[in-house]
Amino acid sequence: MTLPSERRLPWLFLILLLAVVALGAWQWRDGAPLSANLMELVPGTHPDALELRAEQRMQEPLNRDMLVLVGHADRQQAVAMAQTLGEQWQASGLFEKVQWNLQADLPALRTQLLQGRLAMLSADDRQLLTEHPDAFIQQRVQALFDPFTGFSLVPSQDDWLGLTGRIQNSQPQHGAVQLDIGSGALIADADGKSWVLLRARTTGSAFDMNQPLQVAALLQHSREQAASANVQLLAASGLLYAANGQQQATREMTWVGGGATIGILLLLLLAFRRWRVLLAFIPVLVGMLFGAVACVALFGHMHVMTLVLGSSLIGVAVDYPLHYLSKSWSLKPWHSWPALRLTLSGLTLSLITSAIGYLALAWTPFPALTQIAVFSAAGLLGAYLSAVCLLPALLKNVELRPAQWPLQLAERLVRLRENLLEHIRTPVLLALLIAFCVGGLLQLESKNDIRQWVGAPQRLTDEAQTIARITGYQPTSQFFLVRAADQQQLLERQAALSERLDQLVNLDKLQGYLALNQLVSPPAQQQQVREALSKLPQFWQPLLEVGVPLAALQTELQQLQTLPAEDIDAALAGPLGEPYRTLWLGPTEDGVAAMVSLQGLNNPSLLRVQALDLPGVMLVDRLGDLNKVFAQTQISAAELKLASCVLIVLVLMLPFGLGGALRIVALPLLAALCSLASLGWLGQPLTLFSLFGLLLVTAISVDYAILMREQVGGAAVSLLGTLLAAATTWLSFGLLAVSSTPAVSNFGLSVSLGLAFSFMLAPWAGRQAHAVAVTERSA
Amino acid sequence: MNVLLKSLGALALLTLSSLANAFDLQQLSEQLAKPDVIHGQFTQEKHLRALPQPLISRGSFVLAKNHGLLWLLKTPLQQDYRISAKGIARRDATGWQLLPNKSAGAEQNRLFLAVLQGDSSGLQRDFELALSGDAQKWQLTLTPRSVLLKQVFNQINISGGALVNTIELLETQGDSTVLRMQDSTAGQPLSDAEQHDFAE
Repeated sequence: MTLPSERRLPWLFLILLLAVVALGAWQWRDGAPLSANLMELVPGTHPDALELRAEQRMQEPLNRDMLVLVGHADRQQAVAMAQTLGEQWQASGLFEKVQWNLQADLPALRTQLLQGRLAMLSADDRQLLTEHPDAFIQQRVQALFDPFTGFSLVPSQDDWLGLTGRIQNSQPQHGAVQLDIGSGALIADADGKSWVLLRARTTGSAFDMNQPLQVAALLQHSREQAASANVQLLAASGLLYAANGQQQATREMTWVGGGATIGILLLLLLAFRRWRVLLAFIPVLVGMLFGAVACVALFGHMHVMTLVLGSSLIGVAVDYPLHYLSKSWSLKPWHSWPALRLTLSGLTLSLITSAIGYLALAWTPFPALTQIAVFSAAGLLGAYLSAVCLLPALLKNVELRPAQWPLQLAERLVRLRENLLEHIRTPVLLALLIAFCVGGLLQLESKNDIRQWVGAPQRLTDEAQTIARITGYQPTSQFFLVRAADQQQLLERQAALSERLDQLVNLDKLQGYLALNQLVSPPAQQQQVREALSKLPQFWQPLLEVGVPLAALQTELQQLQTLPAEDIDAALAGPLGEPYRTLWLGPTEDGVAAMVSLQGLNNPSLLRVQALDLPGVMLVDRLGDLNKVFAQTQISAAELKLASCVLIVLVLMLPFGLGGALRIVALPLLAALCSLASLGWLGQPLTLFSLFGLLLVTAISVDYAILMREQVGGAAVSLLGTLLAAATTWLSFGLLAVSSTPAVSNFGLSVSLGLAFSFMLAPWAGRQAHAVAVTERSA
Repeated sequence: MNVLLKSLGALALLTLSSLANAFDLQQLSEQLAKPDVIHGQFTQEKHLRALPQPLISRGSFVLAKNHGLLWLLKTPLQQDYRISAKGIARRDATGWQLLPNKSAGAEQNRLFLAVLQGDSSGLQRDFELALSGDAQKWQLTLTPRSVLLKQVFNQINISGGALVNTIELLETQGDSTVLRMQDSTAGQPLSDAEQHDFAE
């Protein structure tokens, strides 16, 4: 028997499906709108546009640069290999710039040094010049006779006072890396090998998903090529992590998605013994489609992590057709539309409660979870609609004669429970359960770290650490942002900060830092240098004595007096400004701003203290802030969980009354508590992700409680329906637990545990004397 | 076999034999590496384009095979330097102070030691070497190979007999430095004070 509305429904749904497919096709017109950038997944901790700009500037090299060390015991062979690889990479077209040797432009360097004689003098040299001009001259005389000072770029006759040599020598040292003057290569010696630095910057299209993979493949090829010549390569780059993340996501999506699909299809076949029953997988596919389309429509793209976590939707989506398919054990003969009519209210309730659970995730400050929530809610709606509108039509003429073994199993389970209850009453069981929970909770430890998001393989982090050890380059993600009204104030503020950072460097708490005030001094101080120089004739007698002509000195002083004040932009334009260029943010809405980057940090809290009483200076510590957000979110997640429960109680009050609704919601909550305790017993940490997982379990397992309470077709049939639903859901979430990304696996584990407890507790949902039962008898 | 080929063959033989007889880099290296300790006096002339007179300084030096070089400047000012595997050190009132390891400077001092100790393999990496003369009176001309070095030096000329006598550095900017090593003797071992200086 089919109602007229049931004849129209499939067609209406097909029209909707067609529209969604068309929208999806349009979204994919320029390739997959996928993203793998980890930072898109974590909360934006600040709305400040300048801070955001600074952060992007600091991150850009992480996502585009690759640092490779080419090592061999023989320096020449290492240099030769670096050259070969450098040329190959340049030819690959993947890189904007590949550099293995220093192409020093000496004339430009000389010009900059001469122009910057007032502006680029270091603080120590300025102090010597103003306070001890006699010592300043004495040192210059010594230097003129010193055969070992190293060559100075500017000849003595252009700089009798030796200011350029002082500037040259006060430039910050770049780690343990030395210039090989023969080849121009930058080389560090360590572990009995010479390591030549090879640096490459990709052409950098952030949306090109293939680039990290191509770079990783090229590196792998180069590694093999080098190994055949006995040369070792070490590489570090954000690109390699991205490539690894992508490969891993693809692999896990295949495992989780493929594993869940095969498992569920097998289960369907074994239980219902009809090929046509495989059509029950249609809601899953429609759900995935709806989820993806909604996600791209709302966010412009979809993150690969959403896909990985979203693939667990398979197990939830298949529950909808299972709701009425499982009625084939009690309804004989089974027909699709009447079976649907019987279970429609349960299905709808299930959709609402699950959607509430998923959408609760959307209120957390994590873009990742918002995406997953939208993906899942839209996916569930799609699955529900196809299960209600389309699938019954497709299964219309199918006569289901399900296998009897699942029912026997369910009956055995029901009897087992009854036997158990005869020996031990429910209150005693509850007391035991609570004891179990308390014992577990006491052992539970909370742990939150951004690193849980990254399943970085040991090999990559080891290599990055080795490179840091060999070169002394230890970039840190923290940096200082300095704001000021003008350049003078900015450089003064940076100088005040530098003073404190120098102390940390002296105490070995910090390896080094880079700030604009190391390159150029404020205009007022340039004027001081000019004044100090004008007093120099009283002290320069020793220079005259060794033979330096008076006229030459006077001409030079004249030139220095007329040298114009140099600003930040001018200093950055020269070759010495190169390492500083990223630090300069330039004019802002209310003045100017610049950053101070840090090297080799071992205590971030010390840094925070440095900035406390310095006006305009702030520490930007994204990772630290994130970890703090994680901890705060844990509390708000717990609140969300309670709020979603209240909402679900309100929804369930309509069909079940307050008592029934409370009982149905209490069970998933107890299950969640048991899973928490289990994590404690298992020695697993409680993370934000396990909490999110449990948030989800509440939503999904309310469904089981409803199924058990409605008891359409008797206790055993209901238990069987619950068992099937739990098994399919567990198949997809349980597989997440094998993920090598700690966050994902933690999520999978807590959902798996939650599902298991929910299934075990579901029979306590009670029995509803229900209108549906009446319809069933009349059907 | 035609005449051309024959004469070519003869020429080749001639070249080979003359090569075998000539004083070569290998022999020079061996000759310079022989003494364990050399004591001597030096005069350094710095010819700067803008100065009518060179800057002249004088002093003494000690070159010890397994330790390095002591360079003791006496006039017009007094200053002691030490170059060893550890780097360059300068003596002040409190003792030897190791100078910060500037990459370019460190490289130049490696060259300096290589020149004095006749380590031609070390030099060949960065320079074209041309040797003329015989064991009693030879001249070695170093022309930089790399673009970077070419921007600093035009040429380095080293000449000597049993030991190095003069080193002349011609810079691209027009300045030049001449180091003359006089009264070098190879017989005398390190004094206690010298040993102490190297050990510190």
